[in-house]
Amino acid sequence: MACRRRPVPGAAGDGRPLQGLAVTDELLVETAERVFAHACTFEAVRQAEEARWAAEIWEAAAAIGLPWISVPEEAGGAGGTVSDAVAVLQVAGRHAAPVPLAETGLLAGWLLAAAGLPVGEGPSTVVPGLPEDDLRLEGGRLTGTAHRVPWAGAAERIVALVDGQVVSATPGEAHLEPLANLAGEPRDTVVFDGAPVAAAPAPGGVDGGALRRRGALSRAALMAGALLAMAELTAGYAAQRQQFGRPVATFQAVQALLVRVAEEALLVDLAVQVAAREADRGDAAFEIAAAKILADEAARVATRAAHQAHGAMGMTREYPLQHLSRRLWSWRAEYGDASWPRRLGDEVKAAGPDALYRLIADGSRAAATA
Amino acid sequence: MLQRFKATELTGRERELQGEVRAFLDAELVPGTFEPGLGMASEVSREFSRKLGARGWLGMALPAEYGGGDRSAVERFVVVEELLRRGAPVDHHWTADRQSGPMINRFGTEDQKRRFLPAICRGELCFTIGMSEPDAGSDLAGVRTRAAKVDGGWELTGTKVWTSNAHNGDWAIVLCRTGEGGDRHEGLSQLIVDLHAPGVTISPITFLDGSPHFAEMSFERVFVGDDLLLGTEGQGWAQVTSELSFERAGPERWLSPYLVVEQFLREHGPSLGEEAVSFLGASVARWWGIRQVSLSVARLIDEGQAPSVQSAIGKDLGTQFEQEVMARLQTLVELEPSPGSQSLFERLLARALLVAPSWTIRGGTNEILRTVIAKGLR
Repeated sequence: MACRRRPVPGAAGDGRPLQGLAVTDELLVETAERVFAHACTFEAVRQAEEARWAAEIWEAAAAIGLPWISVPEEAGGAGGTVSDAVAVLQVAGRHAAPVPLAETGLLAGWLLAAAGLPVGEGPSTVVPGLPEDDLRLEGGRLTGTAHRVPWAGAAERIVALVDGQVVSATPGEAHLEPLANLAGEPRDTVVFDGAPVAAAPAPGGVDGGALRRRGALSRAALMAGALLAMAELTAGYAAQRQQFGRPVATFQAVQALLVRVAEEALLVDLAVQVAAREADRGDAAFEIAAAKILADEAARVATRAAHQAHGAMGMTREYPLQHLSRRLWSWRAEYGDASWPRRLGDEVKAAGPDALYRLIADGSRAAATA
Repeated sequence: MLQRFKATELTGRERELQGEVRAFLDAELVPGTFEPGLGMASEVSREFSRKLGARGWLGMALPAEYGGGDRSAVERFVVVEELLRRGAPVDHHWTADRQSGPMINRFGTEDQKRRFLPAICRGELCFTIGMSEPDAGSDLAGVRTRAAKVDGGWELTGTKVWTSNAHNGDWAIVLCRTGEGGDRHEGLSQLIVDLHAPGVTISPITFLDGSPHFAEMSFERVFVGDDLLLGTEGQGWAQVTSELSFERAGPERWLSPYLVVEQFLREHGPSLGEEAVSFLGASVARWWGIRQVSLSVARLIDEGQAPSVQSAIGKDLGTQFEQEVMARLQTLVELEPSPGSQSLFERLLARALLVAPSWTIRGGTNEILRTVIAKGLR
């Protein structure tokens, strides 16, 4: 797959994704880790909440093409697979990176490339497509309201699926109502009133269901990273926090909490790895649903244990736990929470008892050969 | 940094094996012709055990020269999950295949291997584990069963309890004190004991579901020849620790309630409400995930590692999940289940409700495992 190099000094250096060389997954992950660890300091993440944009974090990621991984090179992306994009999102989640990484490439870039529209440069965002949205396209103009659009104000384009078309709109042509999720990440309401847009038909397979799946996979990946970071943060805190003359990690009741966070984090991490692998082979509807369900459960259970182990310290904005837990609580609800067990359950019910174990063991492959 | 699980999947060869096992069991275990068990707590069928042995599916990871298959942990996983999810009658050979055979292979003399392994691989022998005592459960180093040295062997005296399947057993591998050490972990040994020998008394302990699942084995100066010492005298603790440490995360740790759910779907499918449908979806998701963890651990074992922390994680996650499934299912089912019901679902549900508390206790009680895992997090 393509390897990212730093831009040649003297070149435009405008965040244009680079193409052309090969690198392994490990190198990609190491690079992403270095970039996000450096850029996503406690202060930077905190400030992003007030400023509603983290320019330096975005520039650092964009400079090496991270937001465009999985978008084909021919379309102006950085190339690479869905698994590569998911691996980078896991790193981003670890560091609570407050930028539209998933939106730019995996979601908007995918839609644009599929419809033959320009992927462009700079941050992109995507309309998740909630039931309360009412977008419609009339004579090349977009009207209606889109809800919970990530970083709509900072994005250079807002991409949506409307009436079987991929639509690319400019934020400047819309009215934005700034809102945020529980982690202070912008989730704006965007109102269009006859805004001129670029539009092209969405090919088969590029529909609301596919966007929902891809969105869910992106959230599960971010959550997997945040869960692992939370597990490590909690274990580290408990090992150094002393009470009654010893580290609180020596108390069995606290150990049980640490183990709870770690187990859920490791389970979700593995589930996301498998879902990403299958998403490179097919629609992976089963695996993505399962990974999101597990991530959503973990977001409840693991955050509770992590906060309990941290005591009062974890309840302040002066300490990094809440950068992770508030994101987990937010991302849990994005791209569906209660809907996934119901959807998967409908599939199970329809497949019937004789296919039940096959589904558990073979996932999408069982569904395909049923 | 936490050590992450690595995603793995079955190879072509492993899928072929899976296909063979599925076809064989589809033909052999026709629903309605046998009473299905709940995962590894199943019926005894010497005939079925022999049939599996004849197919080469017992002692799979044991060397071919002793009748084994020279196969991998993953290949064994493939066979075991198919057996357990159907409630196959595996009780007769289960312990022998899973633990005793591999222990004898690892620590046994050439004579012991030749004596026991081929018969284990043929599904002929029923082994039981002699570890727990009335005063030594989680704290296994507190065992008091002693073996005094006599001419040509040992004289074993003591009591073992919570032993599964002892009433059907041919042999027991008994952890006992053969010497005094400075440390209570020293001076322990393992003896292979003939359960039909004079001085052995087996008394059933009725399990919560009414089955004779458990027994107490008492040994009153039972003679055990020198040729039946397993491994090294005084090294019993290290041997037992290796036995318990990494074979913990297999399908038996998450398949106990599977048939209850499958049967629930079978008997109530058409009338399932939204809550039940969500329960199915959430349960299948977690089953899928935990199975991936379990498979990942098997792969680590085949790579030559001893993944004790990962195995403990797998066991803790799996067994807790088993109980959560039963807890949720209970709230969804408007039924007062009878163990003797005509409905298979009701019989399985009744039995599972009665025995579910044991799932997080057996095989290393979860509270202790969590201290092991916590150490591994540092």
